[in-house]
Amino acid sequence: MDEDEAQKQRLKAAVHYTVGCLCQNIATDCEKQITKQTIAAIAETAFRQCDIFAKDLEAFARHAKRHTVTVDDVKLTARRTTALSNYIQQKSEELALNNQELKEKRKKNAAKRKSKDMEAEEENELED
Amino acid sequence: MANAGNEVVFKKETVSKLLTRSFKEDKTKVSSDAVILVAEMLKVFVEEATRRSVKQADSEDCDTVDIEHFEKILPQLLLDF
Repeated sequence: MDEDEAQKQRLKAAVHYTVGCLCQNIATDCEKQITKQTIAAIAETAFRQCDIFAKDLEAFARHAKRHTVTVDDVKLTARRTTALSNYIQQKSEELALNNQELKEKRKKNAAKRKSKDMEAEEENELED
Repeated sequence: MANAGNEVVFKKETVSKLLTRSFKEDKTKVSSDAVILVAEMLKVFVEEATRRSVKQADSEDCDTVDIEHFEKILPQLLLDF
């Protein structure tokens, strides 16, 4: 139980740190000060919101008879506001594009390595 | 975490742990792309919360964003998410 509590505190602290950075940047941008209390409140709310996200995501995945939460589940979570839904859609398309580029890079590298290996083998055979 | 280029994001590991500790079933996992998207959602959530609080403070002619400003925008924020 204690370890669970310790992990929770560590996660909260990590969230709080990132939230603090985000808040400060925006406040500075808008030329305003923001109190530490406010940052703490936003961090706590974000932490709890994540719990809500997780439960929704798990429910969606289970509904689709899956054990792994996918990008489609996240898109569903963002359904309430059109702007948010569009933003997430855009991000998921960027991700898919990135993954494809990475795949193609790897294929090229694998092909390169294969031809290099074959050349090396041929050289060895000649030497023998 | 702040990176060069001034982009603050939630770390994948943090988000992943946050999600898995809230799952009811042990079998449930998250794909790595989904983790990235949830990190984005959280970032948008925090940015919205902050910007709306700033707007609220603005409308009350305050230079400092106080917790009461956040409290006023919180209900609509939660409904929008």
